[in-house]
Amino acid sequence: MFPIARSELIQLFRNRAVLVTMLVIPVASSAMYIYLHESVPAVSAALGLGGIAAVLMFLAMALGLYTTAVTTLASRRQNLFLKRLRSTAAGDAGILSGLLLPVTAITLVQVAVVLTVLAVVGGGPADVPLLVAAVLATAVMMLGLGLATAGLTNSPEHAQVTTLPVMVGTLAVAGWVGFTGTEELGLLKRLLPGGSAAELVVNAWTGGASLGDSLLLLAPTLAWVVVAVALAARMFRWEPRR
Amino acid sequence: MTSTPVIDVDGLNVRYGDFHAVKNLSFQVERGELYALLGTNGAGKTSTLETVEGHRAATSGTVRVFGHSPRDRRAVRPRMGVMLQESGFSPDLTVRESVGLIGALSGRADQVGRVLGLVGLSDRAGTEVSQLSGGEKRRLDFATAVYGTPELIFLDEPTTGLDVQSRHALWEAVDRLREDGSTIVLTTHYLEEAQQRADRIGLMHKGVFHREGTVAELTRTLPAEIRFSLAGPAPALPLHAVRGSDGGFLIETFALQKDLHTLLRWAQDGAVELRELQAGPTRLDDVLRSIGGD
Repeated sequence: MFPIARSELIQLFRNRAVLVTMLVIPVASSAMYIYLHESVPAVSAALGLGGIAAVLMFLAMALGLYTTAVTTLASRRQNLFLKRLRSTAAGDAGILSGLLLPVTAITLVQVAVVLTVLAVVGGGPADVPLLVAAVLATAVMMLGLGLATAGLTNSPEHAQVTTLPVMVGTLAVAGWVGFTGTEELGLLKRLLPGGSAAELVVNAWTGGASLGDSLLLLAPTLAWVVVAVALAARMFRWEPRR
Repeated sequence: MTSTPVIDVDGLNVRYGDFHAVKNLSFQVERGELYALLGTNGAGKTSTLETVEGHRAATSGTVRVFGHSPRDRRAVRPRMGVMLQESGFSPDLTVRESVGLIGALSGRADQVGRVLGLVGLSDRAGTEVSQLSGGEKRRLDFATAVYGTPELIFLDEPTTGLDVQSRHALWEAVDRLREDGSTIVLTTHYLEEAQQRADRIGLMHKGVFHREGTVAELTRTLPAEIRFSLAGPAPALPLHAVRGSDGGFLIETFALQKDLHTLLRWAQDGAVELRELQAGPTRLDDVLRSIGGD
């Protein structure tokens, strides 16, 4: 796994476009929030820090982790690199972990940076362990959805189309839940992918919710992981279609 | 010596939907052998090879490599190297990084520098794969297959795209591996390579073996050939010959030595010049062409 992760990291750093994207997401997110906080404090206050945190986290998860994971897997399959890796003694789980480890680590760093800026500028979260749990659960869910989507994606170019529904969908749900709460349509909002994770971030940031209720919110996210992994097991292909 | 074969295929079937690519195929490869799997396009040799390599599951039948299922990567792969038909290297990694990565995952120990020297890519070590020529990519592929000198090596079209010099160097490296006891499974479109080097050949056609055996066994069942052309008018030929479209003559015979002598004596006696004279066993190309035609 680690030799593969190392080679992925090398490739990531050789690809300028990917590298720029990686820097732009956290910098732009932080700058946007600081601008909002300084220039239009009324809007910032109305949206709520928890909601903003949820949306910015999903921005990094959907735009960074999810799309990069799908693009990477499609591209490694298209040029037969996956087949090459599978002609060694490495197991399938080790190969996938190795390929996705660098982008996952980078995304978690991005999220940590953005949320730290948020905390420093606007005030810190009430429950840090809960926030960490929400971030990790979201990352696992996005990776699962990425694996499933990669099964439907023939090429890196194709990924620009196939990633749109989940990318836009999770971002929209996160915004919807983060900025409007779950008093209305609560069940629907929590069951949609990203909904309960966004609520968990809001709860962790603002505090006040009971621990039991919060932990219950992990369930839909983990259920999406199960769904995504089941879909991936059916749809993931290691070699291009002939 | 009774030893278990390195590869043991028994009643292998591979189907893709309605297409029956490999039909009830059985063969064995013994330790130290060079076994060539040949055939027309679509004969099923790639399906067979990929099943034996462990890339594909058999529809039915058993395949054993070193006594294990080839799908059991942890047990089998450290003992075998695979040269794929198409490269599958990341264009953004250098030659050194590519060999280092695949080598590290092979479960064998070796030095990247040694392997690159073996295939003549030492001066390209720092070059990214995207900058390599087709022949250099084949050599890179060969380097990853022989990393750590595995006991079993699959060479899928190893010399396609190689110039004469690199081809020679590759076969020299294979000879050295065989001296160390490695078993080789080869597919190639250059049939003379297989005819010169293989201990045994499996000639596939439409999912089954058309013929299987040693090169001598394969060619013994077919007539030998004498080919020549004549410069000008000549007395009647002493043997039955077929005239080709290029004006050359072809004599097919099961008594090559005797018939060749007859022909040469006739030419000597009549002062006839035999141009482009060739005599020898039937070439595998002709065997393959004959089965491809039906």
